Formats: sequence, structure tokens, C-alpha cells
Amino acid sequence: MHKFLALLFLSLVVGCNNSQNLDNTNYDDPALPESGGALTNAMIGEPNNLIAMIAGDSASSAIAGQIFNALLKYDENLGFEGDLADSWIISDDYKKITFNLKQDIKWADDKPFTCEDVLFTWKKVTDPDTRTPYGSDYQLVSSASCVNDYTFTAEYDEPYAPALETWSSLHILPEHLLKDEDINDTYFSLRPTGSNYYALDEWTTGQQVKLKTNPNSVHGRPLLEEKITRIIPDLSSQFMELIAGNIDLMSINPIQYSRVFPSRSELNDKINLYKEMGNGYTYFGFNLKKKPFDDVNIRKAISYAINKEEIINGVLLGLGEEITSPYKPGTYWENKSINKISFDVSRSRELLETSGYQLNANNIYEKDGKTLAFEILTNQNKQREMTAVLIQRRLQDIGIDVSIRVIEWASFVNRFIKTGEFEAVVLGWSLSLDPDQYNIWHSSQQGPGQFNFIGYNNPRVDTLLEEGRKELNNEKRKQIYDEFSKIIYDEQPIIYLYAGYGLTAIHKKIKGVKRVTPPAGVFHNDYEWYIPKKFRRNEMSL
Amino acid sequence: MLNYLIKRILWMIPMLIGISLISFFIMHLAPGDITSNESAFNPKASEESRQKLRELYNLDKPIVVQYGLWLKRIVQLDFGSSFASHQRPVLWEKKDENGNIKPGLIQKALPITLLINLLTILLIFSISILLGTIAAIKKNKIPDRVITLFVFVGFAIPGFWLALILMYSFGVVNQVLPISGLHSIGYEQMSKLGQILDLLKHLALPVFISCLSGLAGISLYVRNGMIEILNQDFIKTARAKGLYEKKVVFVHTLKNALLPLITILGLSIPGLIGGSVIAESIFAIPGMGKLFFDAVLMRDFPVVMGILTIGSILTLLGNLVADLAYAWADPRIRRGLAK
Repeated sequence: MHKFLALLFLSLVVGCNNSQNLDNTNYDDPALPESGGALTNAMIGEPNNLIAMIAGDSASSAIAGQIFNALLKYDENLGFEGDLADSWIISDDYKKITFNLKQDIKWADDKPFTCEDVLFTWKKVTDPDTRTPYGSDYQLVSSASCVNDYTFTAEYDEPYAPALETWSSLHILPEHLLKDEDINDTYFSLRPTGSNYYALDEWTTGQQVKLKTNPNSVHGRPLLEEKITRIIPDLSSQFMELIAGNIDLMSINPIQYSRVFPSRSELNDKINLYKEMGNGYTYFGFNLKKKPFDDVNIRKAISYAINKEEIINGVLLGLGEEITSPYKPGTYWENKSINKISFDVSRSRELLETSGYQLNANNIYEKDGKTLAFEILTNQNKQREMTAVLIQRRLQDIGIDVSIRVIEWASFVNRFIKTGEFEAVVLGWSLSLDPDQYNIWHSSQQGPGQFNFIGYNNPRVDTLLEEGRKELNNEKRKQIYDEFSKIIYDEQPIIYLYAGYGLTAIHKKIKGVKRVTPPAGVFHNDYEWYIPKKFRRNEMSL
Repeated sequence: MLNYLIKRILWMIPMLIGISLISFFIMHLAPGDITSNESAFNPKASEESRQKLRELYNLDKPIVVQYGLWLKRIVQLDFGSSFASHQRPVLWEKKDENGNIKPGLIQKALPITLLINLLTILLIFSISILLGTIAAIKKNKIPDRVITLFVFVGFAIPGFWLALILMYSFGVVNQVLPISGLHSIGYEQMSKLGQILDLLKHLALPVFISCLSGLAGISLYVRNGMIEILNQDFIKTARAKGLYEKKVVFVHTLKNALLPLITILGLSIPGLIGGSVIAESIFAIPGMGKLFFDAVLMRDFPVVMGILTIGSILTLLGNLVADLAYAWADPRIRRGLAK
């Protein structure tokens, strides 16, 4: 036994020392772009269904996005550019959008793409029999039609500002393959035919999805010939596959980014790290229908008592930013003029005392014999749990008695959020690219299952949200949402905690990755990525 | 004997209904349904569409009605389709009119789990019998102590931790074994033999890890059984009449000591279709454990019920097989049954 253990340890130790010499290739060698090669990456879950409007999971959209096009897409700086559309015109009354579609485009099966495909897709997404959760945006289109084979028009009863965004997220499907199919349950969802850079080559259930270039791609041929996505549910296993060189890229966590990589120079010889603003933020939200959270002073007092910098350092190892509006920092819609509420214990105490709270003998704030105590709910998510613990400690310090409860997601939503049986939550929302926040903040959205579950109700904000949806002039729209952001921040119905960075590790043999990540993200130009022949993996040797 | 068999099999029917009823109700006790998973918590997704989905899957009906509908389908051996948006059949593949095949969930996950579990059980039993026998012969001497320590360390070590350590040392540092997955890239181009070797390489670590924790129980079973029998009079007789020690140990003692293992073997039949969620996640193996776990988290009721039903049928059959095997192996019990 001792021998066995000793041997095991020896092999580990000796192994560790040897490992660095295995791979002597200098991946920094410059090389000219050449097409071919296979990029291997990993995902934690398997796609459900490659028709994105039906699927709804992120794995599905990630793969489907490489196979299908929308009418529009975001450019490098998060403006719109044509995808299947060449250009688009918005009428003067903002109620009609005319898309001029690209001509002479073919689907991957060589059938021509026309306006009928767009019309068909719109009909499907608004069809009550289609099981899509995303229909409501497109139901606002009162009439859609094809003027000719290459002109598509969508008319709205009321101007709808997020319209362009909605047309950038609807994958256009081929009518000729789907018109006789039940879109909810069709084989097409496993073997789709699209128009984008890649086409599905092989899908090994539970193991990997292999894409190869689509010769009819709308935007020409990408350099990488194949993209293999392996399904590896465990992130530590993914990381080992990455450092063993079996996968070429993955998104990593803050510990890997700022602890593992800096301490192991041999990893930096073959892997580059990229940091960009992530897509979501974490907040601390109150149930505004319950006492004492209906009192803005209490909410502000709690906000002053929480050290957000400490949370970012503790939970994200500094790899995140404080935000003051629900928009990506650095983008157009962010309201930069808002002053941050920073950690200030004495200001917090002042506010609590203004609201009539006094410290009792146990050093807990109390009013009318009731102590200031509540429960923070969150779901099973390590970062949110850690955040809740840090909040608990700071609030304990000041004299607020906080307990934490961590619950599995489905129970969390059904037992607590839907019923309104909660006091405070640590949760997240995505940082949307369109500023519309109607579903989260409008007072009409408080029913069970709707998203204003904290019960926020402010007539001025309602008006702003309604106006913002109708205003297509970006400057005027910006003013509306600046005011909206300011009111929300002043009233603190939720406390914005942090927006974490998206961290990506990419093997150095992948060339063409932009060193300075554009606002649209590191993957934005992945059609230009390439692997020089000398660095390609000998696939049989694995 | 035949009467006994028929009675046992008939008894399984009410048992199965009971088990499925309890499972069905317990499953519905957990709050939430398929429309409440995390990706549905998206401001772009409307509550009306979720309500529509609930109606479509009869989730708005009383539980008793839902159970009735399920039972009606299951007696026709129709396990239904998953609630997830891929709507794959729970049990077996489905062909549409164009000849396209949608593979079944259990159909895809079961073979690999079975393979791993069979290999594991085979290894556990052969190693345990060997270790248990050595420990019994060398009772309280160094080999016994070493073996006991080894199997208990194996039992106590957290599998996921050891798995990661082994993956790191054999997959990253010394690249002799693959880290995760079932097949290497380029598997399709390999020869048949190459494919088998590739699969075995991928299974080496997962099987080793799940073996390690199983050794302790069985080897101690064998050891104690052996010791008990070695002290019995008929062994003394065997020795007294001058049999070789080898024959005493391996024929007379071992044979008797292995009898209780038949029960254990029978009871491990239902375990054959269950996989370990942790091991399957770490090694990226698309097996039954992950399938079941994800289905529970998603509240994908047809899949949960499908796996539970097949599991309970196998458990009941396993018990039956164990009893029959016992009777076959042990004349004393056989005589009891005949009466």
C-alpha cells in the first residue's frame, strides 16, 4: 500500500516536471492565412434543436447561429449591418420597414433564397401552433409581405423601436424544406439546411457536433474548414482538455484567468487569454411589496452598506465592473452621468435612523419592536452564493440580521418568485443591446410568471418605457433611457452588484483573433480565423 | 417451482403500478415543470407561450388525470417523447414517413452505461474474490491488513477528486490516456480493432474509478465468509482426511463463501442501468446518470418516469433472478421451495 501510494505520488511529481518539455512548438511563429483545418471547442450542454425559435437553450443558439442567418446582424461596434438583407429603409412615420434582400443567394441545398422564405419564417414564428416563446415581438408586425422576390416589408401599427433588433435575432428558415413539416417536431431540427458559413456535417448524440463549411455561404467561405464542438459537461475536464491541447478554446473562470495562467508560464506559451465585457449582470433585488423594502431609505441604506468592490474582488477576483444602468458599460445606452453609491457605513446608518430604526441591545436595528431581519434567496450558482455571503457579512456588521437560502432553480422560480413569497434575491439579468426594458420594469408586467416580480411601480418609468419603445431617433431615445436609468438608480429597487467579464482562452495556433476585442466580442470575426498547416492537429494521433 | 415462478411474476404487476404511482406523485411534488427551466427565465419569452406549452403537455390537468394518461400509454408500451424541444422518444427510435430516424434517449444512453457497469462489476467481483480470499487465508497478518487498508482507502477517496488527479496525470502530464469523451476525433476512420482499443482507452479511467469504491464491500464479504467457513467442522474434516490445502480453500471453502454473493449480484442488476452523474459529467460520457439528472432538473416528466419504470422492472426482475439463482446454487433452499 505504501509502495503503491509512493509510486502514485512519484509518478505525479515526476510527471509534472516532465510535462513542460513535451510541446516545443513555437506558436508565436507568424504565418499567412490559409484555409483548411479544424477548430475544436467544447460546450457544457448538448443542443436540443437547431431551429432556434423552438429550442430556446444557449447551446442550440450557439450552433444554429453558425448555420442560419437573420435579416440583420450586429457589426463589430454593435451597430446593425445587413445579413440576408442588403439594406433596409424605415418609413418616415417609423411604422414600416422595407428590407432589400441579397440576390442570387442559395441555400446549402442549392435552392434559391427569396423573400418567400422570410415571409414563411415570420408566419411560423407568429403562428399560435408554433411552440416558440419568442413570438410576441413578431406579433407586433400587423402585416408582412413580399413586394417582389427580393423586397420584404414589415408594417407595425405603432412604431416599435426594438424592431431592428428583433429582425437580427430571427433565423430565416428555408420554406421549401419546411412548408409541409410540423415545425415543432421535424427531423429538420436535427439536420438543418441553412445559409450561413457552416453546415452540419455530423452530430454524434451526447458527444460532438461537427460543422463543415457551407459552399453556398452568404458571406463567402470562412477559412476554418471544420468546427467540432465537443460536449463536455464538466468545466475542469474542459480545462484539462484545453491544456492538453485537445480543444482549442473555451471560456474560463476568474480563478483560471488570474491564478492558474499567471503562475504557469508554459501555458502562456501556447494559449492566449481574452477579456471582454460579459453579457449579464448580477443584482440584489427586493420584494417591493413587502415591508420594509417599500421604503426607499431602507433600500438605499442597504446599498450604502454593501461594498460592491469587495464583492467584485472576492467573487470575480476583480474581473468585473460596477454598473449603474442595465446596459453594457462602454456602449451607447449606458448612462455615464450617474454617481455611484459607494460603500459608506455612516451614510447607511443615517438613512436607517431617518426611517425610524434604532440599534437594540443585540446591536440589531429595530423599529416598533420589530428587528430589521430578512432572508436572501438565490439559486444554486456558486458566484451568487458567494455574493450573498459577502452581503450578509456587511449587513451583519451594520446591524441587519440576514439569513441565506439557496434553492434549486425550478423550485426557486415556482415556489418563491411566482408566488411573490420572497424578501430579497440575488439574481441576474442580461445586459441587452437594445435599451428596451419594458418586460422587467413596466408596472403591467407583475403577473405570475412575468418578469417584474419585484413589484416595481412608477408611473413616470411606465411612461418612459412606453415612449422609448416608440422612439426610433437614437438621440431622443437615449434621453428617454438616460432618465429611466437615473430614476431606477435613485430609487434602488434593485442594487446593481456587478457585471462580470467574459473570459476566453484560445490556443495560439488559432491565428486571426483580434488582440483588442471589439465591442461585439472575441468571436465576432471568427470567419477570418485560421490554423496554419504546421500547427494543425494530426487527427489520427489522438 | 413453476407455480412459484408464476406467482412471483404476477405479483410484480401490482407492485409496478404501486411504484409508478408513488414515483409519479413524488415527482410532481417538486415545484415547477418543463416551462420553468433557467433558459425560460428570459424577458423575451412570454408567459402566454409557457402556458400554451403547459396545456399542450396536459400539465394544467390534475395529477390523477395526468397519471391516468401516462398509465394508458405505458400499458401499450409507449414511453412517450421528451418534453424538451428536441422531443426525442424516451425509449426507442422513431422513424418518420421520409425514413428519418430520431434516436431514443434511453436507447442511446443505455448501451454505454451497461458496458461501463458490466466491466465494473466484472472487475469488482474478480478482484474482490481474489483479495478477500488472500485476506482470509492470511487473516490478521500483513497482507490482510494491507488489503483491508487498500480497499477502505479506495472506498473513502472521493471519486471525482481521484478522477481529476488521474485525468491530469495520465491525460495531461503523460499523454497516455484520453481525458474525456468516448471516442477520439477521427474515430470513424479507424479500423474495427482500433475503434475497440480507442473505446477501451476512453473507458479505462471511468471504470477504474467506479471499481475502486466497490471493492471494499465485496472483498470484506468474501473475507468474512471465508473465515467463517474455514472454522467450520467440515473444513476440519477435509483437512483431517488429508486434502491439499489448495483444494480445501478453493473448492470447499470458496464455493460456500460465494453463495451470498449471488444475492448481491442479483441486487446489482437494477444498478446496471444507473450511471453516476458525477463520473459521467467529469468524463463527458453521455450515459443514464446524466440523462436522469438533467431530466429531473428540467422536470422532463416522461424521461424521469421512463427511467424509473425501467429501473423498477429491472429491480423486481433482479430480485427474482437472485432468488432463483440462489435456489439453483444451494440445494437447501431448493428443497424449501419445492415444498
